[in-house]
Amino acid sequence: MRVSTSQLYDRGIQAILDGQRGLADTQQSLASGKKINRPSDDPVGTSQLVRINEDLDKIDQFRRNNDLFTSALEEQEAVLTNITGSINRARVLTIQAGSGLLNDADKQAIATEIEQIRNEVFDLMNTQNADGDYIFGGHQSQTQAFTYNPAATGNAFTFQGDSGTNEVKLSDSVSVRSTSSGFDVFENVNARLGFSITGSAGLTIDDALITQQGNFDTFHQANYDGVTAANNDYQITITAANQVQVANVGTGATQTLSFASGEPFNYGGIEFTLSGGVGDTVDFSLNQPEKKNLAQTLDDLYRALTDTSISDGQYREALADALVGIDNGLTSIQLENSSIGGRLNVAESIEATNLDLEIANKSARSAIEDVDYAAASAEFAKQETALSAALATFPQVTNLSLFNFI
Amino acid sequence: MRNVDLFTIASAGVNASNSLLQTTSNNIANVNTEGYVRERTTLQDGLVGGIGDINTERVLNVFAQNQLRRDITRVGELETFEEKTAAIDDILANEANSLATALSDFFSALQTASDDPTNLASRDVVLARGDAFLRRTEVLADFLNDREQELNLEFTSEVNRANTLIQRIGDLNQSILSSAGGDPDAAPSALYNERDQLINELADIVSIDVRDSSNGNGTVLINLTSGDSLVLDDGSFNVIEIAGTTDISFKELQLSTDFGGAKNETAINLTENELGGTLGGLFRYRDEVLGEAQRDIGQLAVTFADALNAQNALGMDMDLQLGGDIFDIPEFEGLAFDGTDTSLDLTGRIEAGDGVTFTDADIKVTVTAAAAGLPTEVTVEFLNGDGSPKVDETGSAVQFTGITVGTGFNSIPGGIEIEFQSASGYAVGNEFLLRPAKDLATEISLATNRGEDLAFASPIRVDPSLDNLGDAKVTGITVTNTTVDATLGAEASAFDGSGGVHNAASAPGGTVGAPAQILFTSNSSYQVLDDAGAVIANVTGVTQYNDLLSQAETSGAGPAWPAAFSALDDYPGYDLSLEGAPVAGDVFDITYNTNGVNDNTNLIQMGELQQAGLVQLSTNSNSEARTFHESYSSLVGRIGEQASSAQISLDAANAMLDQSTTWFESTSGVNLDEEAANLIRYQQSYAAAARILTTAQELFNTILSSVR
Repeated sequence: MRVSTSQLYDRGIQAILDGQRGLADTQQSLASGKKINRPSDDPVGTSQLVRINEDLDKIDQFRRNNDLFTSALEEQEAVLTNITGSINRARVLTIQAGSGLLNDADKQAIATEIEQIRNEVFDLMNTQNADGDYIFGGHQSQTQAFTYNPAATGNAFTFQGDSGTNEVKLSDSVSVRSTSSGFDVFENVNARLGFSITGSAGLTIDDALITQQGNFDTFHQANYDGVTAANNDYQITITAANQVQVANVGTGATQTLSFASGEPFNYGGIEFTLSGGVGDTVDFSLNQPEKKNLAQTLDDLYRALTDTSISDGQYREALADALVGIDNGLTSIQLENSSIGGRLNVAESIEATNLDLEIANKSARSAIEDVDYAAASAEFAKQETALSAALATFPQVTNLSLFNFI
Repeated sequence: MRNVDLFTIASAGVNASNSLLQTTSNNIANVNTEGYVRERTTLQDGLVGGIGDINTERVLNVFAQNQLRRDITRVGELETFEEKTAAIDDILANEANSLATALSDFFSALQTASDDPTNLASRDVVLARGDAFLRRTEVLADFLNDREQELNLEFTSEVNRANTLIQRIGDLNQSILSSAGGDPDAAPSALYNERDQLINELADIVSIDVRDSSNGNGTVLINLTSGDSLVLDDGSFNVIEIAGTTDISFKELQLSTDFGGAKNETAINLTENELGGTLGGLFRYRDEVLGEAQRDIGQLAVTFADALNAQNALGMDMDLQLGGDIFDIPEFEGLAFDGTDTSLDLTGRIEAGDGVTFTDADIKVTVTAAAAGLPTEVTVEFLNGDGSPKVDETGSAVQFTGITVGTGFNSIPGGIEIEFQSASGYAVGNEFLLRPAKDLATEISLATNRGEDLAFASPIRVDPSLDNLGDAKVTGITVTNTTVDATLGAEASAFDGSGGVHNAASAPGGTVGAPAQILFTSNSSYQVLDDAGAVIANVTGVTQYNDLLSQAETSGAGPAWPAAFSALDDYPGYDLSLEGAPVAGDVFDITYNTNGVNDNTNLIQMGELQQAGLVQLSTNSNSEARTFHESYSSLVGRIGEQASSAQISLDAANAMLDQSTTWFESTSGVNLDEEAANLIRYQQSYAAAARILTTAQELFNTILSSVR
């Protein structure tokens, strides 16, 4: 084919320009280490990158959440462990206080220590985090979680917060509770269940005490009716010299027990010792279950220890109340502690999963966007050779002219 | 054979060689002249000896020339398209402009805030990151808007250039006609060269067909590929005009005649996308790349702002108020179509909380019925950025007819509300164009600078009573509606807007207040009570404790759920679920979450928006909306794909242009070596012819001397 002179030049120049463009692109890839320098280099890859980067950003955030979550939980755990230690000491003291050998001064000494423990526990229940939030205050974290009002009728230590808890996302699908609610851990703790003698006719009540607390608890839980008050009322009637009948006032259900005047008999964990004759009655009713937080339990104990006017019976009851309250309080704290442990384990395993995901995502990202240096270098060398050839041949081709020979 | 004297033959030979040398020299001289077509002088021997005819003509392959023009058009179109698309491609490649990073930053800030909802610093970061996202969309949208303005200037300059060329080609047609007087060979080839060069330049701007005039007078006819005439063989021509009808920034092209008053002038609308050449490339870029990108970014910004506003409204802020707007999404103005009085107003706004139905479509509103100068019924059509109708899955245009409208804002499909604001003057047939996605992209701003206004807490709290005997716990409080409306319109919720829920006096029906307590009467039955303890509904036969209020609405009996509650869209607007075993007498109090600032319930819901499908693809109810990130990634992918395929097509077109240039040049291009050879050859033939002259003279002298 005929080739015109200007074609000769154009083609030569074009080849050089193409070579330079190719080299520049490969050089950019090599310098940036990336295959994709703009979306058009790999449209599908770019949109995948957007999603992978989103995932990586999320994982990054989840790991930050995990750190904050772990430290928050560790703080709660530390507080609860502290309380547990103090309460265990209080339990030992309570048992000591039950020893019949103590004189008033001994009791006073125990009381002083119980008071210290009470104050410490109270302080710990009002723990604030670095931001000044009461960590056991529920959602109302800016009001003091527990307040102490010695003049109050009923409980002196009252909960001001709510039962709200927060969750933190540790991965796309896993949200884990990050706060402990003071309501559940401290406030919603049962005090010792009890009963009251509401009246009697004709007989003497020598004794009416809960001797088998476990049996009584079962009895109470099975029979207490929160709606109909009458169902909680019982009447014991001596129906024969050797027999009593216990009747539920509300339902009318009856039960007959063996009886001997002046001798104890047991009903639902309560030991009654009655002295009377046929037809005599005793009324008693199951008390509404009470909730007491640990500070309150310790406060009650402290008061019993310092009150010199109470009877031995009342003193023993107070100690029993305190023991049950302490045990229930400890149970609740242990429950939360094991829940914290469980959640920390979850956090740890999610952290591991997130790490794996991060590695997987990063290698996927690398496969999409990172340059293969071996291939790119080879390409660069190839393009360089082509450009050198184009440059070298251009003057040679264009120098050839018939005019040079005329 | 007749006797012809040598002198005649010799001078003819010298003349012929002279012509040949002239042509060769001319070729050599014009070796670098753009548009020059190699010439060749052909000789014919004379009937009686000597040279008969000396004819110099251009060496031209018309097929090669036409192919060249077609390829010039193709390259012109793709070059423009590729260059413009690559600019967007480049800006999206820049990490600093990535909307995805901005989105991730925002949701990260939310997550950080959820670890400690009362921390004001982290609340401020959330606001700042939200603003940063919108500023980035604004930067991108502004960039695209600047490109659009630039584009409009380019339209004008390209059209002017095309018109100048058309006019000059027309003039050259005239010149050829007058100088040749009907004989195409008589006109100077320079005229043809110049005309061909101009035609090539025109081919760069629009796709044209070139035909030689059937009169054989050397003139050409030029048509657009669509068939509309640009240049006629009599020298007259039509010019391209820019028309911007409804939207002045949206240019359209017309072809208008220029008869100089001899006939009535007419204007023909052109299909801009099919023009080819740089003009076609510019229009294709505007309609396929720029317009789409502008609207997609706008849609993303609007759905983002609306989704967060909606979620914020369902929470309680740090000032213990129901959440207000975080972002301010302004209203937008409709544009009157041609033929509609431009003084008539149509205003649109985003229907709050309905961002998930918002599409990237432009919306055409046509008044189909009016009374007393105010529209009563409209038809709504969804359009693409280029004005063509959006089509649904069956391929028919997306159109909603018979939408009743009244005064104030009226809801129309696509998550939009419109209001006809002029006092009167509307008539059937009035047409308006709304471009919400495009207009709003740069307009959304923060509605508040106070981190306290972020409503991270749930406005409702459910507290189990301390006296509860069962172990049931609250597992979930859902809030779906917090609209405060003292007049109890259809959208009203139970919230009174002053830190509480309705009591009996202010609640719908006026007999019982909003639910404020759940009281279990057994483990399978409960009562819903209001704040005064009045029974709202009694529910029996309960098997699970999810959504206790909606259970009460569906199966409450004696009393049943109040009809006045059910009559509203979503009343009371909250619900609760329990787990565990409640026993008779257990009470759950539902109250306004006063002081509950450490609550992050609503914040977690806000964070969930990252995974939620919120960006709608189309009006098809089955279409799955995409997440923010998905939407952005498909935008980037699409632009990248357009840029890369444009690059590939351009490379192909350039290769074809190379080929056709080679083809054309191989016929019409000057080769200096060839001309060098010719120079020597014709020099020798000149010398030979001159030698004949000397010979003839010597012969003559011989005769003379013999006579002497």
